[in-house]
Amino acid sequence: MKLLVIEDDAATAAYLLRGLREHGHVVDHAPTGRDGLFLAEDPGYDALVVDRMLPGLDGLSLVRTLRAAGVKTPALFLTALGGIDDRVAGLDAGGDDYLVKPFAFSELLARLHALARRPPLAAPPSVLRVADLELDPRRRAVTRGGIPVVLQPREFQILEVLMRHAGEVVTRTMLLEKVWDFHFDPRTNIVETHISRLRGKIDRGGDPELIHTVRGAGYLIRAPDSEA
Amino acid sequence: MRLIPKLEPRLLRTASFRLAAAYVVLFAASTLVLGGVVFWIASDALNQQLRARILAESAALQGEYRIGGLDRLVAAVRLGGRGAAALDDRVQAADGRRLAGTLPRVAPRPGWVDLEAGDARADGEADQTGEVPEHVRALVTQLPGGVWLAVGDDLGRIEEVQATILGAFAWALGLGVLLGGAGGVLLSRSFLRRVDTIGRTAQAIIAGDLTQRIPLRGTGDDLDRLAATLNRMLDRIAALMDSLRQVSADVAHDLRTPLARLVQTLDTARRHAATPEAFRAALDTAAEETEAILETFAALLRIAQVEGGSRRAGFRAVDLSALAASVGEAFAPSIEAAGHRFVAAITPGVSVRGDGDLLANLLANLLDNALRHTPAGSTIRLGLAIEGGAEAGRAALSVADDGPGVPAAERARIFDRFYRAEHSRTTPGSGLGLAMVAAIAELHEAALTAEDAGPGLRVRLVFPPG
Repeated sequence: MKLLVIEDDAATAAYLLRGLREHGHVVDHAPTGRDGLFLAEDPGYDALVVDRMLPGLDGLSLVRTLRAAGVKTPALFLTALGGIDDRVAGLDAGGDDYLVKPFAFSELLARLHALARRPPLAAPPSVLRVADLELDPRRRAVTRGGIPVVLQPREFQILEVLMRHAGEVVTRTMLLEKVWDFHFDPRTNIVETHISRLRGKIDRGGDPELIHTVRGAGYLIRAPDSEA
Repeated sequence: MRLIPKLEPRLLRTASFRLAAAYVVLFAASTLVLGGVVFWIASDALNQQLRARILAESAALQGEYRIGGLDRLVAAVRLGGRGAAALDDRVQAADGRRLAGTLPRVAPRPGWVDLEAGDARADGEADQTGEVPEHVRALVTQLPGGVWLAVGDDLGRIEEVQATILGAFAWALGLGVLLGGAGGVLLSRSFLRRVDTIGRTAQAIIAGDLTQRIPLRGTGDDLDRLAATLNRMLDRIAALMDSLRQVSADVAHDLRTPLARLVQTLDTARRHAATPEAFRAALDTAAEETEAILETFAALLRIAQVEGGSRRAGFRAVDLSALAASVGEAFAPSIEAAGHRFVAAITPGVSVRGDGDLLANLLANLLDNALRHTPAGSTIRLGLAIEGGAEAGRAALSVADDGPGVPAAERARIFDRFYRAEHSRTTPGSGLGLAMVAAIAELHEAALTAEDAGPGLRVRLVFPPG
């Protein structure tokens, strides 16, 4: 992916650039809001990582200006504010996702992947497939090796999120937000329990495991013969 | 348009004094108008009476003349002139000579005429029988045979009444202006004193004494109500300051321990770790400890933001039944996986005004707390009901367990920041979950109580009606 990091704090910027490049992304860096705005007008980026607090032009105004100018590159806000109102402000300004500092690098990566691969809204939902597991969003039906699997609504939603991002890590926080609309940490291991139930239903009878736990990061679904 | 504002006495600039001054002007103006009207009406009435009296006398004398000629007229005039309230008359020959009466000479022209006493003296006809009044209004009539008859009455009586009216109103005006002015000064003095009291209280608070309050007079007037409102504001500020002090103390106390542990971990690694693996393990531990500290910070910040109250602006109708069902459903598998029983009794169709995200957070914290502090085999009950009838009913949300419970003496403290019950010191947790619950309940103006569930703990949240 080609990414633009707009971040004024030198240490954070170095950490982000190094981590993202290690994961094979092409990354540009802008240390101020004005530089960032200038660079971000280039439509070639797959996603923007924008710090909320920037000298000169703050992140919110930057993204708002970009959106007003018709630039639709997905933007992920980083903030040290961590306020419960800030998420709404960020999304209102035209941001697509929001991450509070400090964050796990895996969380950032997972969210950037999810942003950049976001399918166009108009795309008709088609049947999702991973190995012999099929999920039909329209009929809300799941089969494994042709045999129907009966899932609870939340289990179905979890599986759908995982399958839409097949081969990519989906973090616990992303699942809490997308499946339950919880924008807080429930502390109880509700995601883990649901995943474990989901596994019990789709990996039944000695089939190869499809849902994998990525330690310290989240979950991913992939065919047994493919590489992560 | 104040050119020298500094020299102008403060009193003159007060609203109440200006009001008093305006009142004085208005009072004076209305006194003048009232006086004018009374003066005019009284004068008019007296003049009418005077004319009527003169006309009647004149007609009577003309009657005498017609009956008995000049002699009888002269006799009648001489006779009538003696009464106390009698009118003044003159019978005058065609050549202007006086034949009878006391009035001065009149011009031989019929109609009304005003005469001065000085006219008589100038004529050298000073009266022998009685005094002639200063001002006289007279009716002059020509009688057959060239004789003139003048009948007049004293204008001085009308003038006296007029002077009395004018005098009375002048006194009223003077007294009104004086009393209004003095009242205005007194009123604005007392007003100023009270404003000064409020100002002095504010000064004392600025100087650092937050316990100062504005004294109330108990009259319940505007200023008293303003003072009461300001006092309530000061109470709120003091409570916020206390809470802030408490948070600072809590943070200092409860973050020192993990920070000290972090320093120890790093220090031990620096001095004793010999292999890269040992360093890596120490770094992992340090990172975990740092994360836990940051989580505590984030939780404190969240609580502080909820307590700040800004979320209230985004309140809307929340389907509490659906929300409770959804959160319950999210927790049920985990609660059951931990070997507990989960029972939900949710009345459908209950809604409250609030913040859905925060209410979900509140319920999640209550369920997490119940799960964390009860042994396997316990039952956790989630309840939502309407209390106090369908009309003006209050939504009551509760989470109860049948675990060890909390001693009565400590029950009120479980909502304090960093409170950990004795027996739960070893269970993981920040001690902030229920503090967040308390903050969210307060934001929603919902009554939060911890009760004995006999056995176990029941936390109840009763929302305001409507």
